[in-house]
Amino acid sequence: MAANMPKRVKWRKCQKGRIRGNACRGNSVSFGEYGLQTVDPGRITSRHIEAGRVAATHFLHREGRVYVRLFPHKPISSKPLETRMGKGKGETAIWAALVKPGTVMFEIGGVAEEVAKEALLRIAHKMPVRTRFIARRHAV
Amino acid sequence: MQIATIQGETRNAGGRHANRRLRKQGLVPAVIYGHGQTPETIALSRHDLVLAIEHMSHVINVAVDKQETQYLLKDVQYDHLQHEPIHADLMRVNPDERVNVNVGIEFRGEPHGIHEGGELIQVLTDLDIECPLLNIPEVLRVEIDHLGVGQALHVGDLELPEGISTRHGPDDVVATVRAKRGGLGTVEEEAEPEAEVTGTEPEVIGRTAKEEESKGAGEG
Repeated sequence: MAANMPKRVKWRKCQKGRIRGNACRGNSVSFGEYGLQTVDPGRITSRHIEAGRVAATHFLHREGRVYVRLFPHKPISSKPLETRMGKGKGETAIWAALVKPGTVMFEIGGVAEEVAKEALLRIAHKMPVRTRFIARRHAV
Repeated sequence: MQIATIQGETRNAGGRHANRRLRKQGLVPAVIYGHGQTPETIALSRHDLVLAIEHMSHVINVAVDKQETQYLLKDVQYDHLQHEPIHADLMRVNPDERVNVNVGIEFRGEPHGIHEGGELIQVLTDLDIECPLLNIPEVLRVEIDHLGVGQALHVGDLELPEGISTRHGPDDVVATVRAKRGGLGTVEEEAEPEAEVTGTEPEVIGRTAKEEESKGAGEG
């Protein structure tokens, strides 16, 4: 099973924060040949990541390799249903990875471009952000 | 090797705002340096630059005021989506000079190890080579038919064209064919639903067992 939250953390809960700016790191294909890049900022939860990974590996029939370049580091807390406001911050409900426009989320290597495109499209359907397909850019 | 010609113009104003105005006009700010001379700033046609990169031209002719000069395309910066070039570095070179460039590696054929249940892992996608300026290959084509499961192709095994040397070590791995992980059961294992995230919490660094107990009692 894929890891879906950190093993050890320094603090159990954290503040909401804001996602500002564009990705200036992790915005190019580094491991595979093709990648899925987000064009929106957003929170990708551990469930999204796992759903995307399963969709791609199932489609590829164990051909090629799928690289997941996201890890859900951020705890997102929520209050139980039908609870009055107050009484402190809710417990951690989900874990999410924060992405900025440009972040390459998934990569695929070892398959033809058409196959990679189809597999990444299946991942894209599971994502809560708009995405685009990119290929590795060779160094000048 | 193709030598593309790019239209350019001199650029005097520097800085973020001036460069942004240039990019809106379809130009890309660029800098020319090398040979111990003072760096110059110019602007290149984005259309021409993109075409040159697509054709894997390392050496380009820049036409400024109807005068063409040859430069080495040293680096290109892209926007955050890796879509459009936003800046280029050009280096002054002599035609008989040896230069260091990165050239892509292209595999030819299919390793027979793939038919034996292996998978091809490409470790190096570009090779750092040193060669004469006018002898830069577009791409290095490598035959990989002979690779079996557990075998690897090293930099030392590559047959580089004459006059070209690499700065990689001969033992650096270019590609390897390795046995696929797990058996047939792995597919089911991968497809199984993930564990519930709620209810399990990561260990908190620095929290003692006493604190954990008191927290548990407080919640209960």
